[in-house]
Amino acid sequence: MQATKSFEQAFLRHLLRGFRLSAVSYKSMSLQERKSAIKLSADVAMASARGSRKWTRGLITKLSREDEHRSFLRLILGTEYGRLTKPRHGSWKIPRSKKIVRRSLRVCSRRKNNLRAPHGVKSGVLARTLVEKRTHALKRLVPGGESLDGCSLLDEALDYVISLRAQVDLMQKLLTTFEAPKLRALSKCTLPERKASFVGK
Amino acid sequence: MGSAGSYGVGTGNSGAYVTEISEPARFEEEIRSLIQARFDAPPVSGGSFTALLGLSANQAVGLLHEPGAGEISAPAASSSPTGLGHPLGCSPTFPSNAALAERAASFPVFAAADSPASSSDGGPSPPLKAEPPDPDSSPPLPVPIDKPRRPAKRKDCEKQKAKGPGKKIKTAEEHTEGDQLPYVHVRARRGQATDSHSLAERARREKINARMKLLQELVPGCSKITGTALVLDEIINHVQSLQRQVEFLSMRLAAVNPRIDFGGLDSFLMAERGPLAASNGRGEAALDPVSWSSDPAPGTGLRTDLRPSQQSSTAWVYPYALIDHGTSLFGYGAANSVPLNSNQSKTDL
Repeated sequence: MQATKSFEQAFLRHLLRGFRLSAVSYKSMSLQERKSAIKLSADVAMASARGSRKWTRGLITKLSREDEHRSFLRLILGTEYGRLTKPRHGSWKIPRSKKIVRRSLRVCSRRKNNLRAPHGVKSGVLARTLVEKRTHALKRLVPGGESLDGCSLLDEALDYVISLRAQVDLMQKLLTTFEAPKLRALSKCTLPERKASFVGK
Repeated sequence: MGSAGSYGVGTGNSGAYVTEISEPARFEEEIRSLIQARFDAPPVSGGSFTALLGLSANQAVGLLHEPGAGEISAPAASSSPTGLGHPLGCSPTFPSNAALAERAASFPVFAAADSPASSSDGGPSPPLKAEPPDPDSSPPLPVPIDKPRRPAKRKDCEKQKAKGPGKKIKTAEEHTEGDQLPYVHVRARRGQATDSHSLAERARREKINARMKLLQELVPGCSKITGTALVLDEIINHVQSLQRQVEFLSMRLAAVNPRIDFGGLDSFLMAERGPLAASNGRGEAALDPVSWSSDPAPGTGLRTDLRPSQQSSTAWVYPYALIDHGTSLFGYGAANSVPLNSNQSKTDL
C-alpha cells in the first residue's frame, strides 16, 4: 500500500506554501523555533493533502488549540479550515464524557479483578486486558483516535501510517535535495578546485 | 480533496485477500469432483496420459498445474502405464493450504520443468519409448492454450464461489464496502450459534480481523506474528518510530535552512506560476525535466564561484525532482544548469 502521487504532490505544494508563509522571520529564529515551524507546516500539509478523514480533523484541531498556530492554519487552509474544524454530528461532547466514563469503568474493573483474582485469573481476561491496553495506547498515538471504536480506529491507523510514511519520504528527499550541492562538492573535491576556491577567498 | 479512498486500501486489498481464502476450498471441491469423475469413467486402454485419467485435456492439464503435479509429471513421464495408480497416489498431495502460494509460482516453474523433463526422459528409456513421447508431448501442447484459460477459469470459479456453496466466506467482505451495506450477510459455520447477537459479534470480529491483516501487511515484520496484542504492539512501535523520524527530519531541515533563502524560493515559485513573460519562458524551460539532463556541461565550469547562489537555487529543483523522478538525482544534474537561469531571472525580477 502506498500513497498516491496526487497525494504526494498536494503534500509538497502545501509544504512549500507553508515554508514560504512561515519564512518571514527565518533569520531571526532559533533552531528550536525553526524546527517546530517546519514540523507544523509539514503536519498541516499532510492533513490538508489527505482531505477529510477523522485523523486529519483530529490533527488540525489539536494544532489549532494553540493560538499562535491558528492564524497560520487559517492562512494555509483557507476555506477548508472552517470545514475541517467544525464539529461533526456534535461529536465533541463524546470524548469528554467518555474519558470520565472510562475512568470510572477502570476503577470498577480494577475492583472486580481484585475480587476475582483469588478464584484464578482466566487467560481470556488477561488477553483482553493486554489488547485493551494496547488499544488505548494506539488511541493516544493516532490523532483524534480517542473517540473511535476498535474497527474504525484500525482504519484510521492504517491511513495515518501510510500518510506518515509519505511524509517521512518526502522530507528525506527534501533534505537530500538541499544538501546535494554540499555533498557533491565534498565528494568531487579535487586539488585544482580547492586552489580556485582558496584564491577566491 | 483526496478523500475518495485513493489509496486503494480497502477495496482492492481485501478483495484479493478474500479470493485467496476461497482458493483452498475450491481446490478441494475441484479435486473431489475430478476424482469422482475418474472413478466413474471406465479405464481407457489408450496410450495418452490424459486418456488414462479419463479426463478431458484441459482438466488433466489443470491437475498438472496443481502444485502436487510436479510429482505427477515426473512419475508419469518416466514410468509405466499404471497410470491409474498415479492420480490415486498423488491426489492426497493436492489439498494443502501451503500450496496456495505455490500455485501462482508453480506456473512458470512448471512450464520450465516440463521441457527438461521431456527432453531428459526421452533418451534413456528406450523400452518406454511408446509411453514418454505421449505424456511428454501432451502436457506441453495444451499448456500455451490453457494458460490464458486458467485465469478465466479462476475468475469463473471465483464468481461461482461468491454465490455458490461457500465454506467460510462472508459475502459482505466481497462487497468490501461492507460498512455501507444495510445488511451484513454472514454465513454460519458448523456448530456455531446463529442468533442475531453472535452473528453481529462475528461480523464485527471479521471486520476487525480483516483490518488487522491489512495493517500486518503494511507494517514490516508483522506478517509472521500471530496474536492481536503483539501485532498491535508492532503497529504502535511503528507509528512511534515514524513520528520520531518526522521530528528528527524537521530538526535536520531546520539546521540546513539558514543557507537556503526561502524568500528567494518564494520568487521562484511565483515565477513558476505567475504570468511573468521572460522569466516564465525560461522558468518553464528550466523546470522541464527533459532540458535538465541535456545540460550538465555549461554549469560545471561555474560551479565553484556560484556555490553560494547554487544552494539557494536548488530550491528550483525539488518541486518536480522529488515527485516525478523519485530520487533526487535530477537535483544533482539540474543544479548545474540552474545557476545561469536563476541569476538571470533574478535580475529580471
